[in-house]
Parts: sequence; C-alpha cells; structure tokens
Amino acid sequence: MEFGNSGMLNEDGIHVDMDRLKKGEVNLGTSIMAINFKDGVILGADSRTTTGAYIANRVTDKLTQVHDTIWCCRSGSAADTQAVADIVHYQLGMYAIQNGRPPTTQTAAAMFQELCYENKDRLSAGLIIAGWDERHGGQVYSIPLGGSLHKQSYAIGGSGSTYIYGYCDANWKEGMDEETAVNFVKGALQEAIKWDGSSGGVIRMVVLTKKGANRHLYLPDTDYTVRHE
Amino acid sequence: MVFVQVSPRLRFPSKFPKLSFSVKQFEANHVTGADLYFVASGIQFGHANQTRASGAWRAQAPDGCQTIGFKPSHHSITSTVVPNTFSTSIGTGYDLTNSVFSPDGRNFQVEYAVKAVENGGTSIGIRCKDGVVLAVEKVISSKLLKAGANKRIATVDRHIGAVSSGLVPDGRHFVSRARDEASSWRSTYKTPITVKDLASRMGGYLQAYTLYSSVRPFGITGIVAGWDSELELPVDGQVGSGPKIGSGGKVEGKKYGGPGLFMIEPSGQYWGYYGAATGKGRQTAKAELEKLDLAAGKLSLQDGVKEAARIIYVAHADNKDKEFELEMTWISSLDGPTKGRHEEVPKDILEEAEKLAKKHLDDDDDEEETKEDDKMEE
Amino acid sequence: MPGFDFSNHTRNAALHARGVPLPKATSTGTTIVGCIFDGGVVIAADTRATSGPIVADKNCEKLHYIAPQIWCAGAGTAADTEFTTALISSQLELHSLSTGRKPRVVTCMTMLKQHLFRYQGHIGAYLVVAGVDPTGVGLFTVHAHGSTDKLPYVTMGSGSLAAMSVFETQWKSKMTEQEAVTLASNAIQAGIFNDLGSGSNVDVAIITKEKTTLKRGYVKPNERSKKQKSYVFKRGTTAVLNEKIITREEISKYVTVTELGTETTLGEKMDLDV
Repeated sequence: MEFGNSGMLNEDGIHVDMDRLKKGEVNLGTSIMAINFKDGVILGADSRTTTGAYIANRVTDKLTQVHDTIWCCRSGSAADTQAVADIVHYQLGMYAIQNGRPPTTQTAAAMFQELCYENKDRLSAGLIIAGWDERHGGQVYSIPLGGSLHKQSYAIGGSGSTYIYGYCDANWKEGMDEETAVNFVKGALQEAIKWDGSSGGVIRMVVLTKKGANRHLYLPDTDYTVRHE
Repeated sequence: MVFVQVSPRLRFPSKFPKLSFSVKQFEANHVTGADLYFVASGIQFGHANQTRASGAWRAQAPDGCQTIGFKPSHHSITSTVVPNTFSTSIGTGYDLTNSVFSPDGRNFQVEYAVKAVENGGTSIGIRCKDGVVLAVEKVISSKLLKAGANKRIATVDRHIGAVSSGLVPDGRHFVSRARDEASSWRSTYKTPITVKDLASRMGGYLQAYTLYSSVRPFGITGIVAGWDSELELPVDGQVGSGPKIGSGGKVEGKKYGGPGLFMIEPSGQYWGYYGAATGKGRQTAKAELEKLDLAAGKLSLQDGVKEAARIIYVAHADNKDKEFELEMTWISSLDGPTKGRHEEVPKDILEEAEKLAKKHLDDDDDEEETKEDDKMEE
Repeated sequence: MPGFDFSNHTRNAALHARGVPLPKATSTGTTIVGCIFDGGVVIAADTRATSGPIVADKNCEKLHYIAPQIWCAGAGTAADTEFTTALISSQLELHSLSTGRKPRVVTCMTMLKQHLFRYQGHIGAYLVVAGVDPTGVGLFTVHAHGSTDKLPYVTMGSGSLAAMSVFETQWKSKMTEQEAVTLASNAIQAGIFNDLGSGSNVDVAIITKEKTTLKRGYVKPNERSKKQKSYVFKRGTTAVLNEKIITREEISKYVTVTELGTETTLGEKMDLDV
C-alpha cells in the first residue's frame, strides 16, 4: 500500500491522520435521507460512488436491507459501511431465529450504534437506519461519524445533505401521504444532486410499510419524473 | 465357580445392594449351582450364591453396575447379564449421576432435585391485571435470626423479581445468573429483557445442569415475575428522547407489554402462569390459586397482595408446629404504585394483608369448631 | 487486545515521514474488465507487469483461477492478487466439498471482501470476480479495502478509465458471447494503447453454464517484428590501442582455474540479444 504525504512526526511522537480516507479508498460522496410518513418510512439515496475524482459506480445501491422491514442508508467509506451492514444483517437474522420474533428498529439501531461507537477510530461511516414494525410503526434513527444515536422524524446525511437542510426544514410535514412523501424525498435529493459534485446518478428509494418493502427507481434521463423497474 | 467381570469404569461404593439375575441367563450358558465371584480389574470384590428356594441368584453386587460380563472359568464364554429392573431407582445405579437415563427414560437426579424443592418453604406468584405479586413462606430455622433480614425474593432487573423454593444457595446462584442474563441482554440489545425471554434463558441454563456428569441439577424451582413496559422504549444510549410526534404506520388496537409470571423447574422446563406455587405447601396453595379465577384478569394488584398473604398462611397451616415469616414483593404497571419497578410491598400494606390472612384462618377454625360443636350437640 | 499488530506499519509511516523511501512492490499497473452477456460472462486483462518505470514482465497472467466456473482478474500489487485469489480458491474448494454444492460467485466475493477488509487495504488486491453458478451469472468488483460493486460491466486498474470509455459508448444489454468478447477485448486494448501502466497482449476468459474457455493472448497487438536491418557493429569498429596477453599460469596465482565440461553437460548457451 502506498501512503499519502500527510503522515507527520511531531515532538509527541507519531501523528497519524485518521480522519482522511486511506489513499485509493472507495468513498460514498453521498446524499442520503429517510423520513417518517403516514404509513411508515421512506429511505432515499443518490447512486454515486467515487474514488478521488473518478466515479467508480454510477448506479450504486446505497439502500441496504438488514432485515425484512429494517433498512439502512450508507454514507462514508463503502468498505466500512458494507462491512458494518453485513454484520448487522447477520445479527438480526440470528435475533429473529433465537427469539422467535422479528427484531424492532430499536434493536437494529442499537446494533449499528455499538459497532460504530466501539470502532469509531477505525470507521468512517455515517448511517441512517429506518424500519417499520407493527408495534412502533415507522422509525428513523441517525448515526453520524462519532457513533452517537439520534431518533428523528426525518434524517438527512452525506456530503449532499448540507445543501438541503433548508429545503427539508421548509417542506417536511408530519403525516404526509405516500405520494407526497415520495415527491418530498425526490425533490430533496434532486436538489442535493444538483448542488453536490459528489452526488449524482439515479435516485433510489425504499418505502417501508405494513405491506413490506417497496423499491422505487428514478433516472436522470427523464429528469427523475418516471418511476422505473 | 463363576467369575463375573465388571466394567472397571463403574464406581464401587462399599455398600452393595441386593441384585438378582435371571436364572435362565446362567442356564443358557450351562452354569448351574455355582458360586459367583465379582471381579473388576482382576480383583474380587463381591460374591453370590444361588438361592435354591426362589430359583434366583442372590448376589452382593456393587452400586452402579449396569451390565456385567461374566465368564465361567471352565468355559471360554463371555456374556452380558443385565440386572432385573427394580420398581425403585435405589440400587439400580441409574440414579448416581447426571446424564444417565434409566431404561424407562427417567433421569433420577432431576427427580431427586424435585424432592429437594418439595421440602422447601412455599413460594407463590400471582399475575394480576395491573401487576404481579411474589410471596414466600420463610420457615424460621433459629430464634437468633434477625426478623426481616435474610431476604429471599431478589430483584433481577429494575422490572423483574425472582423467588425460589428448595436449596437456598441454589436459589442465590439462580438469581445471580438471572441478573447476568438481564444485564447481558441490556448490553447487547440496549433494551430491558422481557420476563418471557428471561424465563427462556433461565430454562436453558437449568436444563444444561441435567446434562453433565460434573454438575448436579438445581435443587430449586424458581418463579420469575415482572412487568414489561407497554410503551415504546428508547434505545439505551440514544441522544435525546426523539421527536415529539409519533411514528407513522402503527398497527392500531394491539397491546404490548404487561405482567409476566413464569415458573422454572429443575429439569429446565418452564411455563407461563396466572398463578404459580412451589415448595412444601404448593398443593394447598394451588388449590387456593385456582379458586381466584385469575384467567378472567379481574383481580387487582391491591387484592392480589391480600390473596398472596392469605394463601401463604393457608399453605402453612399444614406445618403449624414451625414458625414462619412472610416476605412479599410486587411489580405494578407504569401508572401503579411501583411504576413498573420490582419493589418490596410497603410495611403498612404487608401488615394489613397479614392481619386479614390471620383473621381468615381464625374464621375458618371457628367455622370448623362450630360445625363440630353442632355435631356434638346432636 | 486480540487481533493484528500494526506497530510495524506505524513504524514504517514514521520512517516514511522522516524521508526514508519505502520499497517498491511489483505492481500490475493494469487494465482489467468484465462484461456480462446473454448466457455467461467474460473477463479480460492486459499482460504487462511493472516495477516503477520498468516493465517487469511483458506477458504475465492476470486472470486467476478460483473454481472451474469462477475466475478473477487482478489489479494492484501482483503478489497480493496472486496469493489472495489462491487462498480464496482453496477455501472455496473446501467449502464446496463440505457443502456438496457448486461454489457460488457471491460466496467467493463475500470471502474476498471479508479477507481484504480485515487487512484494511494493506493487501493491495483489486479484483474483478466473475462466474456462472447454479443461481446464474455473477460479476463483481472487489476493492482492496473490502468494498464491492455488482454491475453488468466493470473495469479496474490504471487503465480502467480508458476501458470504461469503451464500455460506456459501446455496451448494450443482451449481447452475444462474441459481441461481449470483442467489446471486452477492445476495452483492454484501449488500456494497452492509452495507459502507460498497461501493455502487451489481451487475455480473455469466457465463462458459460457449460464451460470455461481461457484464451491466453487472444489479441497480440504488440508482437515484436523482425528488424528490417541488422544493427550489429562490424568487427574492428572500435580501435585497438594496445594488447596484453595473460597466460593461464599467471592467472592461477590469484584464482583457481577449473576446466568445465563440454556444451552438452553445461546446458544451453546463454542467448545474447542481437
């Protein structure tokens, strides 16, 4: 492995810059979000994956299933977030088998937080966990870089999210119906993609309700107006 | 002369119970009217004679001998003799260790553990509509013991209590393990364990103590009781309390949480109960519990406390010569007196319940006496 | 604490910061590609291995066997791609034997990503994993840090940009085997001609449900042609200024002289480049 030139040595010994991505690491320069609506939750994401200035994947799926109706949005290092999601996917599967009932979104959020907090100095992962269950309905949890856990009515994340704080604050409403909610997510992500150079490609969504998980796909060719798949 | 080869793996206590062999087994091998010598690793340790009267062989055989190969010295035949099945476990050897089945599929070590439970002070639990009560009869073994000290009902987690009948140190270990399970659940899932899940974990733990030869089963039957929160729970360690507005898409009309009462036996078997009783007075206590019609879900926690005290007093009536002390704890719903926590029943309520219990017993006695008096008059 | 000891890495980073240069590993500055077609998958690679500015091998193999129906194209550190694919190949065969099923491409991909993630990018293997298994056709990329992507066409290595430009302009869905092989080969050639790190020939592996076909040197666009003229200098081109003959006896004073056998016992004579 080659090293960047940011390794420095000062009087108190070796200084290693942990915040930067290791050279050549695949990054999810990203716009992700999840919102609560009348019947559950919607997760949304762009599809751009970059290595430096190069787009390594223009149709990435950043919405990852960890149980039947518990999903997560991934931002940060692709390797780290995939590894964490894989571990939680396994743990939730085990939970369902050992306890004879599906895990709640809280359980999933707790497992993600444990991994993100205990390994905070090794991971660059910004996650949004969203799930639906009979008892609690839809729930959205956000786990930013340090590994803290926040329950939110909606959450936005990734480099593109900085551009849509105003949009979301102005337009998000409690108890939107599905169509309004989908259009809200789509509108927000369109803005994020427009202003953030590290976000782009298609818009993917997952709608989680009593009826299960439902995928949406919108392409830039049609200005994100037509639902594909 | 016949030498009976005994498997050297078996242990040989000094006391040999009587053991009989089928005569046919010997005759089939052309052995008649001979003396039997029991041999293990070449050393003789037992001796047998054929009893002409019964036609059976009476032999001094070691405890724990299951299969015995015997070899007549003048023949080179080796055969296996299985002792006749006894109606009792004693002396068959099947009761000496864990992880050994008797031929009819019983584990005697577990049955002996149940005997230990049957001698212990009575413990009961009552599942009421708005909480659960635990009560135990503590037989006073010495006048020097400080009254009110030496608690037998323990708190496992904030919302769960446990009590047991049988060997007290085993009960302590049971509680210790239950606390570990509850704490490990909390650190893994960042949420309190439910009573059902705790009972499942403890059932698994006790069952493991019936499998290995290096351990013995628990000499207790444990009762765990608690209240699972009916509200949405936060994740331990989450920042803030979350959004003020509710989540979308909830399935309405379903209830979650509520009271939980489970009883775990030495075998590891556990069931959920409306009313649970174990220990010396369990039969009387069960009869009383059945009268309460707990399944209807109408009994309040306040009344449950009174009933629990009364039942312990009634169950003790068969054991009148010994003094006892009543210990009681409860867990109410979140809007009840304990706010979902496991706590001791406050002194005034406990004393009131005991007063009523004693009064009830006295009234019963009076009734009986009056009846007898009536008869006398006739 | 259990796990790996990264203290040597920290030491190396410190030495590096003080100006000590790190040793150069042989890197396969490379173009590798993969492309799904109707009924199978094709992967292709160039054959240049470099060590800094030097071409270390003009015809190396970058297509690695994993299982009969699963192959890998490797970029990055040559030793790491070689050993990582060999290790996973071995583990996958044992896994296949113990389950009694044919190995799957996703299994291979998962094992690779977990192995590479464990080493936090210190194993410099960048791989294209392709194959056909009972669940269908599979094509993935695996990066050294352990991230993976699933796509219908992929490129990796220093020539990946040139190769991707070919795919992005010419790829279409439901291609025939021959169309896919030609497209993959063209993508590699784009790398060979436009990327300094890539060169020499095109290797291709075609995997279908029925069989795997490895075509080593599928295209050789850089064959060395016969020189039109001899560039050997004529004898006597360099003037002789003086001459001194030293006898064998004289030499023997300083070194031991041993007579060797004839040519046949010695083996072939070393070829001189002319």
